[in-house]
Amino acid sequence: MLQAVMTIPMTGHDTSAEDRRMAAACAAGDAKIFEELYRRFGDRMKSIAWNHLGNAADAEDAVQETFLKIHRAAATYSGEASFSTWAYRILVNTCYDVLRKRKRRIEETSMEDDEGMTIERPTSSVDDAKRMTLRKLLDELPEQRRTVFSLFEIEGLSHAEIGQILGISEGNSKWILFSTKKELQEKWNRTRSS
Amino acid sequence: MNINCSNLDDLLFDASPLSMRTAAEHAAACAACAEKLEAWNDISATAKSMQTAWQNDLLWPRIERALAKEIAEGKRRTPLRGFSRIAAVALLTIGLGSTMWFTMREQVRGAKFNGKIYQNSAMDEVEKAERDHVRAIANLQKFADAKLENTESPLMVSYKEKLMLLDDAIAECQVNIDRNRQNAHIREQLLAMYSEKQQTLKDVLREDPNVSNQ
Repeated sequence: MLQAVMTIPMTGHDTSAEDRRMAAACAAGDAKIFEELYRRFGDRMKSIAWNHLGNAADAEDAVQETFLKIHRAAATYSGEASFSTWAYRILVNTCYDVLRKRKRRIEETSMEDDEGMTIERPTSSVDDAKRMTLRKLLDELPEQRRTVFSLFEIEGLSHAEIGQILGISEGNSKWILFSTKKELQEKWNRTRSS
Repeated sequence: MNINCSNLDDLLFDASPLSMRTAAEHAAACAACAEKLEAWNDISATAKSMQTAWQNDLLWPRIERALAKEIAEGKRRTPLRGFSRIAAVALLTIGLGSTMWFTMREQVRGAKFNGKIYQNSAMDEVEKAERDHVRAIANLQKFADAKLENTESPLMVSYKEKLMLLDDAIAECQVNIDRNRQNAHIREQLLAMYSEKQQTLKDVLREDPNVSNQ
């Protein structure tokens, strides 16, 4: 039975020792630690994947694949970034792989594709038409720009976290966000009026 | 704060609550900037509403099963352990690699040689144009630096911060280009950064240091 949820937990802010403990347990295949990971970061992972892939089924597949990759790669976790950031990095790369494989645009899959799913969004006065417009404009962006925008504006991650996820500096993340929003700003009114 | 339309982008780049408040105050008296700011804020508000959540009670059991299967298979298929496993993989890689290398070497040698000459010459032209552009910006920077050092107004400080961020981003981009000269996307990004820097330096030079912006 699919039900709506309203909240997405904030990014985990783990201590380094805690992160290493989680990584070691993941490498060892500890089922409980994976469940803990899913409980803490699963909702945000689904949201990130949804906003890259455009439908719940693909987003769930990407999250599942990410957990398998975490298990395979946990032994290589160096502790440079927090474990959650490291996991988001794997997720974003998994989404890129899915997008490249299917070679079709996100706009082909609409919210109606999430049949049986109750998609919940934060309460706001924003209408679906605006969301569709923004999704269409985001879809036209190169991967990196779209990801920086999604992680900052949609998911609320900081530039420091985004920098670690994408392997770029904090300043570069800030610059990419600004230039992306500038590009979107120019297209926004034009697209909305047409 | 006393700002003009050319400062709007700098305020949006900074994006601090103070900058956004200043931008809003300016937009209240300027229709063109009001339209830009409205679109800017509209995009942010729309983006925030796109955080997506749904519950699927079947997802975790599915992931759990996939993980259990993967872990069980991983344990079963490790007859070669440690050094012997690495050695087997290395031997296989060397064997396959050398066969492919010998086969392909002769086929691609001629074509690659010709292609590389054309490619390198095109890249040299692009890089020469970039060097000229960078030199022109460096000249502009000399004048701007003098002006930036002589004033501590908040606007000039925000210009300084923006220029520092741009320099960091340019340096990082340059490292990526050094790794892959042919990556057109990174080159475009670098060009956009240089253009932004050029525009910012021009804005600094245009700014009247005696105007209080507090």
